[in-house]
Amino acid sequence: MTDSQSRHPSRGFQSRSSQSRGFWAEAWARFRRKPLAMAALAFVTLLAAVALLAPAIAGTKPVLCRYKGRIYAPCLGYFDRRLEPTIFAKDRFRGTYPRNLKEKDPNSWAIWPLVFQDPHRAVRDNEWPGRPANPAKDEGRPNGINLFGTDQYGVDVFAKMVHGTTIALLVGVVSMGLAGTIGIIVGALGGYFGGWIDMLTSRITEIVMCVPTLVLILAVIAIVEKPTIWKTMAIIGATGWTGIARLTRGEFLRLRQSEFVTAARATGAGPVRIMLRHILPNALAPVLVPITFGIASAILTESSLSFLGFGPPPPAASWGSLLNDARSNLSMWWLVVFPGVAIFLTVLAYNLIGEGLQEVTDPRLREARK
Amino acid sequence: MATYLLRRLLLGMLTLVAITFIVYGLARNMPGTPLTVQMGESDPSRKLNPEDQERMKRIYGLDRPWHEGYLRWLGNVVRGDLGRSFSRKQPVTTLIGERIGPTFLISGTALVLAWLLGVPLGLYASARSGMADERATSLLLYVLYSFPTFVAALFLQIVFSVWLRGTAWELPLFGMSDLPADASWAARAADIARHAILPVTCQTYVSLAYDSRFIKANMEEAVRQDYIRTARAKGAGPGRVLFHHAFRNTLIPLVTLLGLSLPGLIGGSVIIEQIFTWPGMGRLFFESIRERDYPTIMGLTLMFSVLTLIGQLLADLLYCLVDPRVSVE
Repeated sequence: MTDSQSRHPSRGFQSRSSQSRGFWAEAWARFRRKPLAMAALAFVTLLAAVALLAPAIAGTKPVLCRYKGRIYAPCLGYFDRRLEPTIFAKDRFRGTYPRNLKEKDPNSWAIWPLVFQDPHRAVRDNEWPGRPANPAKDEGRPNGINLFGTDQYGVDVFAKMVHGTTIALLVGVVSMGLAGTIGIIVGALGGYFGGWIDMLTSRITEIVMCVPTLVLILAVIAIVEKPTIWKTMAIIGATGWTGIARLTRGEFLRLRQSEFVTAARATGAGPVRIMLRHILPNALAPVLVPITFGIASAILTESSLSFLGFGPPPPAASWGSLLNDARSNLSMWWLVVFPGVAIFLTVLAYNLIGEGLQEVTDPRLREARK
Repeated sequence: MATYLLRRLLLGMLTLVAITFIVYGLARNMPGTPLTVQMGESDPSRKLNPEDQERMKRIYGLDRPWHEGYLRWLGNVVRGDLGRSFSRKQPVTTLIGERIGPTFLISGTALVLAWLLGVPLGLYASARSGMADERATSLLLYVLYSFPTFVAALFLQIVFSVWLRGTAWELPLFGMSDLPADASWAARAADIARHAILPVTCQTYVSLAYDSRFIKANMEEAVRQDYIRTARAKGAGPGRVLFHHAFRNTLIPLVTLLGLSLPGLIGGSVIIEQIFTWPGMGRLFFESIRERDYPTIMGLTLMFSVLTLIGQLLADLLYCLVDPRVSVE
C-alpha cells in the first residue's frame, strides 16, 4: 500500500483497478521514501538555486536599481558582461556602484545583493560606506564581513564560491549530457545490430577506455585555442562515455530478443523506431544510474583539473581553482576547507542520488530491501 | 585456449597501435615543442635563436610531420627502444625504472592495506546487514568514497604539517626523503616511511571504501541464492554460511577487480604524487606532458595501455580458473 493510496482510500481501489502506476511514478514513489536520497536531491536543488541567484547573493552590482529615471539590473553583468547596462560604463562608474549611484543621481535607489562582495576583485576601502577594504595576504580569516575569509589578493571566498556554483553544476550536467548521448548512441548501435557494427563500436569503446584520461584531457585542452569552461566540459563528456556505452550495449543485446521487439518488428517498425521508442525506454533506468554517478565524477575531474592548474581562465573561478590557490598557502585553512567541503558535498549528493535511483529501479535490489 | 590467447593477443596489438597513434597525434599537436616550452618559459633570454632551433629540431626528428614521427617511434619500439627523454637526457626505460619503485611503494602498500581492511569490513557489513552499527559504518564508508582525494590530501597536509608542526605528530609536507644519500640505510628507510604515510593514507581510503562496498554488494547478491537457503536449512552456522558458502562465491568479481587494479599499481596516481611531490610515475607523466617530452609521454602511455590490456586479459583468464562454468570460448 503506497502513500498516496492510503491517503485517498476512496480513490485507491479505482486507480488500482483501472490503471496501475507507471514504472517511473512507481520509482519516484519509492525514491521519495529514501531520506538520504531526498536530502541529496534537495541539496542539488539548493545548489541550482544558488547558481541561478548567484549575483543576488554575492556581488557588488545592484540587483535592481533606479538610475536617472529608469530601472536597471546591473547584476546580470555577472552572467555575461554584455548584459550589464552600458549607461553605467558611459557614466564612468568603473564597477563601483554604491557611491557613484548616489553622487551621479541623488534620487536613485538600489536593491543590493545579500552579501556585498565581488567574486573577481577585492572590495576597496570605503567602497561600501564605512566598511574597510578586504584584508589581503594571509590576514583574511573568516569573519562577519568575509564569511569564508579572503584569498591572498583580498577577494572574498564566499563570493567566489557562490559564483563558482554555476560551473560545478554545469560541468556535471553538460558533460554527462554529452557523454550520455554518445554512449547511448554507440552502445545502442552495437547492441542492436551486432555483427561487424558491434565489433567496430566495441573496439572503439575499448580504445577510448584504454587511453589514459588525463593525457587525453590535458592534450585536448592544450590543443584547443583559448580554453574555456565549455571546452573543458565538452572534453570531459567526449572521454567519459565508455561505461555508458558498454551498459547500453548490454541492455540492447538483452532486449533486442524480447517479445515486444519482435512484435514491433512484425508491425513494420524500422530499426530507428524500434531502438528509440521500444528498447530505449526500457533500457533507460539502468543507463541513468551510471550517468548520475558520471555527473559526480565529472565534477571531480573538473575540480582536479582546476586544482592542477588547468581550469577555466580567470576571472571565472571554479571550486577546484580555489583549492589550487590554497596549495601555496596551506596556513590559510579556509581556502581549503570551504571549497573542499563544497566539492565533497556535491559529489556525495550526486552519488547518493545515483544510489537511490539504482535501488528504486533495479528490481533485484528492490526485492532485497523487503 | 591457444587460439583464444592468440586472438586476444592480436586484438591487443591492434588496440595498442590505435591508442599510441592517437596519443602521439595529440601530443605532437599540443602547442609548443620540447625546445620552446622548456627554455622559453623559465627564462626568455635563454630562448634559442631560429637557426639553433632548426638544428635541434632536426636532431630530435621534430622537423618531420607527426605521422612520420609516429612510424619511426613505432619502428624503434618494435626493436625494443623507447627512445631518450628530451628534457631529462636519459633513456625513457631508465626513467621509468627509476620511478617505478616509489610509485609501487605507495600503491602496493595502499592496495594491500585496502584489501586487508576492506575484506573484513565488507564481510562484517554483510553479516550485520540492516543493523544500526552496520548502517553507520556503511554510511561512513560511503562518505569516504565520495571524499575527493585531493581535498583529503590538502586537509591532511594542513593538519599534520601545519597545525601539528613542532609536535611529535608532525609529518613531512612533501617529497620522499630529506636525508642526504650517504645517510644510513635504516635512517633513510624510516625517513621514507614517514614521508609515505600521508600519500599512502590518501590512496588507501578511497580503495578501501570502494572494495568493502563492492564486497558487500556481491555478498548481498550471494546470500539471496538458493544454495544459501539450503546451507542454512542443513544447519550450517552463520559464520560457516558466510565464509564457506557465500564469500567463496563472490570471489569471481573480486578477482576481476584485482585484475583491473593492475595498471593503477604501476601507473600511480597523478594527483596524489603531484600534491606530495612524490617522485613516481604519475608525476613523471604529468611533468612529461607539461614539458612536451614526447618520448616519455609515449613510453608511459605504452606501458599503461599494455598493463590495462594485460589486466583485462588476466581478469578474464582468472575468471575461467575460479569458475569452471565460464569458458574462454
